Amino acid sequence: MTLHTAPSNISLEATSYGWLGQFRAMASPCEILLEGVTEAKATELTQLAANETWRIEQKYSRYQPDSVLSQINQQVDCWQQLDDETAALMQFAKTCYQLSDGLFDITSGVLRKVWRFDGSDQIPDAAAVRALLPLVGFNQLKFTGDKLWLPKGMELDLGGIAKEYAVDKVAQLLTTATTAQNTAMVVNFGGDMLAVRSKADQQPWRIGIEHPGKPDEPAMLVALRAGALATSGDARRFLQKDGIRYSHILNPKTGWPVPNAPRSVTVSAPSCVMAGLLATTALLQGADAEAFLQQQGLQFWLIP
Amino acid sequence: MQLTKTGSISAALAAATCTLLSANAIAADSNTGNSTDSLIEGWQFNSALLYYGETDRVKAAEAILSARGDFGDDKFLNLNLVLDSLTGASATGAVAQPDAQTFTRPSGAGSYTTAAGATPLDDTFHDTRVQLDASWEQPLTANYRGTVGGHFSKEYDYLSLGINGNISRDFNHKNTTLSVGTSFSHDSINPEGGIPSAFTPMLFRSNFASEGAYQQAFDGSRRTDSDTKTTAELLFGVTQVINPDWLMQLNYSIAKADGYLSDPFKVLSVVNSNGITQQNLYEQRPDSRTKQSLYWQNKWHLSGSYLDLSYRYMWDDWSLNSHTADARWRFPVAGNWYIEPHARYYTQDEAEFYQPFLSEGMPLPAFASADYRIGQMDAYTVGAKVGTVLEGGHDFAVRLEYYQQNPNNPGVELPGVLQDLELFGDVKAVMLQVSYSF
Repeated sequence: MTLHTAPSNISLEATSYGWLGQFRAMASPCEILLEGVTEAKATELTQLAANETWRIEQKYSRYQPDSVLSQINQQVDCWQQLDDETAALMQFAKTCYQLSDGLFDITSGVLRKVWRFDGSDQIPDAAAVRALLPLVGFNQLKFTGDKLWLPKGMELDLGGIAKEYAVDKVAQLLTTATTAQNTAMVVNFGGDMLAVRSKADQQPWRIGIEHPGKPDEPAMLVALRAGALATSGDARRFLQKDGIRYSHILNPKTGWPVPNAPRSVTVSAPSCVMAGLLATTALLQGADAEAFLQQQGLQFWLIP
Repeated sequence: MQLTKTGSISAALAAATCTLLSANAIAADSNTGNSTDSLIEGWQFNSALLYYGETDRVKAAEAILSARGDFGDDKFLNLNLVLDSLTGASATGAVAQPDAQTFTRPSGAGSYTTAAGATPLDDTFHDTRVQLDASWEQPLTANYRGTVGGHFSKEYDYLSLGINGNISRDFNHKNTTLSVGTSFSHDSINPEGGIPSAFTPMLFRSNFASEGAYQQAFDGSRRTDSDTKTTAELLFGVTQVINPDWLMQLNYSIAKADGYLSDPFKVLSVVNSNGITQQNLYEQRPDSRTKQSLYWQNKWHLSGSYLDLSYRYMWDDWSLNSHTADARWRFPVAGNWYIEPHARYYTQDEAEFYQPFLSEGMPLPAFASADYRIGQMDAYTVGAKVGTVLEGGHDFAVRLEYYQQNPNNPGVELPGVLQDLELFGDVKAVMLQVSYSF
């Protein structure tokens, strides 16, 4: 589903502030808003951004059997050597696991085998959930800097970080690739975004993002001077049975949905990875999401 | 505040994020060469050269250099330097006459002659001005931004010093911004030859027996060597994003100026019933002025083009009311080029004490000025700017505009010879500006 490697898959259009480069990746529309560059440079930068995004997508895709992530997941019960980038992502995931008191866990993907959030009333059997719990828990991995031991039956899923990571990496790459100091840009992958600099007129970037909780309502308009925004939550993914709504936010410790989780949380932070992590961790706090967000000292928007 | 089990993790997470994102940054740098076109890291510069030329009158050349330094965390230092040089002639306020007229220069030393039928222009006008503005802006809290600034402007006979401050607050996901600003300035004027007393007549060396007697009389007609003016201003603004393609701004300002508000170089002709000038008296304006203005601006993004429409209404307690309508439309043309046509219309009523001349035998009013700039007039500007973004993101633009002022008679009956003379002549000017950002 992700074979977007042909260079023709990017598009560029002129806008009031400069250029809008577009392509698709990671199941999202990806936009690069550029100010202060020529058309040729804008095309070059959009291509650079698309190539980097497609690279990250292919490397960490769960769906492609030859992706680096799939290769890792296939090598169980043995030590395997990680490349630098994957090792850095694993180290980051480990820190997040520790900071979130075990709630943010890249090994929780196996729970999807029993939970399918399709709006139906198919609540899994409690025994089936319990049977999977031994296969969840970052602390069961052996991880030493650049080597990993993955116990049989466990799986890694970087879906909770990859898109935000791609936003930050692309912004980093474009900042380095733009020779001009006054190139202002926004990298926006389906609402997870980072603004590198505010526009020359000092007005903030104004970007419409779809409410994850209210897909039919007009896009929410956000203003971004510099920094990142990321949103977690998806109101269309849930189960409902006997009047109880089960959100798709699973507590990796219990294997069950987090009760009273907000529909969606948007966080503003210096980097997109950080914003995304805080938004996801907030959802995992359930009813305490707002209190958790207030303790972080960053701007946030919460849809209960 | 309720404490959750997880607590505050943002600081630790920020550190982990930095480690993650810097992991491959060095490799990326070496791949792309890491060159930067900026002169100084973190600074952005804009420069412009402007030529302004009125037909037969003032010519001005101006150089502008502005710099904006990014100090991180949304903190900026703005610096603006302007150098301009003015030469040429400006209208003195005296009326044209059927015969040639001789006038004493404002300094009292020497004279100049205006041809028969011509508008009297003082050709001694020559000045160089240096202006420096600096301001610091930064976020105060999540939704508040503050700016403080200073202003310095110096020309040969004029010094202006000012301070200003502004606080703005964002609402509604930054779609609404309210701002309050204030400024205070103190100006000193120190014209060559001093400041004339109200309605003293222009003296002529030829009417005195000796240089000494003339100088003594001239000095006696001067009130003081220098004077000052203070201006305090308060500004309220609201900026509203109507939708992603429409931004609206509404400002109200009130400014009160106190002190010397007259022009020491302007005179009024006293004419007899046949329109012949008997003498010229130095003008006198009130020593305070309260000016208010409303400004409404709209910026639209229309399928790749950018439309900016604004309107300003200004009124003051001199009953000098003006309306300004301004339209700019910027749209892309071939390649990276854009063109921005510009049209501006301005109209003002005369100040209540404006008079094109004084009539002999009538009592002197408390205040009077024949300066056409505070008289009734219409003015318009038409022009266009053409620009491009060069490789490296440098903006380059050329702006060419035509400007015309049409002063009008506010309904004064013209006696005798004045009916056949041009008293409300047009002023025509061209402006050429070249700008470049780096």
